[in-house]
Parts: sequence; structure tokens; C-alpha cells
Amino acid sequence: MMSKSTMKKTVFFNASPDVVWKYLTEKDKLALWFHPAESDLVAGQPYALVGADSGDKMCWGEVVSMNEPESMVWTFTIQPLSGAMTKVTWELEESHGGTRLTLTHDGIGEAAQAAALGLLTALDAGWDEHFAQLRTAATSGG
Amino acid sequence: MTPKGVIISDTLWCFSVGGRRQQRFKNRSMGVTPDIQSAFRALADPTRRQILVHLSQRDMTIAQIVDEFPVSRNAVKKHLTALEEGQLIRVESRGRERLNKLEPVGLKFVADWFKYFDHFWDEKLNSLKQVIEQSEKQ
Repeated sequence: MMSKSTMKKTVFFNASPDVVWKYLTEKDKLALWFHPAESDLVAGQPYALVGADSGDKMCWGEVVSMNEPESMVWTFTIQPLSGAMTKVTWELEESHGGTRLTLTHDGIGEAAQAAALGLLTALDAGWDEHFAQLRTAATSGG
Repeated sequence: MTPKGVIISDTLWCFSVGGRRQQRFKNRSMGVTPDIQSAFRALADPTRRQILVHLSQRDMTIAQIVDEFPVSRNAVKKHLTALEEGQLIRVESRGRERLNKLEPVGLKFVADWFKYFDHFWDEKLNSLKQVIEQSEKQ
């Protein structure tokens, strides 16, 4: 199940870890490739990346830890996951005069299941309410 | 209306920010609708939804399910068949017991979410690479 739940991506950049770090943590630079952040990212603080036009929250969570410019851990979720959290780890290593960036995304499977079960429960609550209304209507119509 | 449908529409919403490149993924993810009819049929019945909620907490034999519902063993059996056809549960033999397990509506969702994040991060990391290497050249 572990492998089913963890995703890893590695990218090499022709830039130093210090430069790459700025693009991962600074509000204006995040906007250039991800989504604009509400503010620069700070360890221990919640963050939110918002839609450029709509201003709606697209991705959010908490910056669990920051070790500039080597690593950073986020809790991470997006709207369709209905609040289920995953974990994103960023690791930067100096390599051949550039930076090797590794992204590890954990807990996707668990979050997907939680979201699915949340939907099931919501579906159920929806029906219950519907039937309660029907009962009320039927009784009062009596 | 199906859980799957909900996810798909939200996925589209998430990809709707951005330009032509995202459009390509948008079209691709719209083709994902396998077996949705039988899952939908299975979910349309309140007893079956209740059974799923029970199975989300633990695996159960038919006898255990019958104990929880005011319906006959035969009726429960029919419900379980419908759920199995909808690929919402699977039956596993353990010794003499036949255990009904939630086939996590999840399992399909997990695969979809994996694909989703796979595209998601590829897109983002590609943009990051372009942005950084362009700005560093200047």
C-alpha cells in the first residue's frame, strides 16, 4: 500500500538551491509557477495558494517545517479532497552546479479513501434529510 | 451525482485555471467513466448505502450484516450482489468464512487521484523549471 500512496518526482534545475528555495517559499515567486500565495511561507504557519483570477483557495495546509535551503514539509490538500490532508516534502540538493529537487507526496491513497467515504456519508445525510422533509410534507398534508 | 462524478467535476475546476496546456488534461480526464452505471445503481438503495457504511468500519460476514438489518438473509444477499456488481465491495474467503469487504469506492478513486497528482506535479514542476531557468539566464 505504501507505494500506492506515495509519489516521488525529481527535477534538476540550472540554479542554486538558494534560488530554487525562493521559488518554493516566496509569495510572488510561487505565483509564477504554482498559484499566488496569500503571504510568504513561514514554518509552523498555515499557508494558502489562491486562484489568480478567482481568489479562491486552490491548495492549502500548514508549513510543518523549513530547513532553508535543504528541505521543507507541508501538509497539503486541494478543494476536491474534502478536507483530507496529505503530506508534501520538498528536498533540495546541490548537484553539478545546480539543484536536484525531490518532491515526495505521501498519503494520497488514504486521503482519497477518506474523501470517498466522506462523500458516501454526505450522500447518506442528504437522503435522510430528503426523507424527513417528505415525511413532514406527507404528514402535514394529511 | 455519483461520488465519481463529483470528483471529476472538481478536477475540471482545479484544472480550469491556466491556459492551453491545462486544457489538454481537462479533455483527457473527461473520458473516465467506467462502470459508473452499476455503481450508481448499487448506491441508489438506502439499505445498500447503510451496508457500505458498516463495511467501512469492519469486514463482515453475511450473518453479521443480517444481524444489523431488519431484512431477510436473502434480501441481504441480493444487496451484496448488487454492491459487488457496482465494484463497491468484494468477497474474500477466509477459512470457512466469506468476508464482505469494502472495495474502497476508493480503489478507483485512488487510481484516479494518482493520475491526477501525477499530471498536477508534472505540470507544476515543468513551469517551475521554465520560470527558474528563464529568469536565471537574464
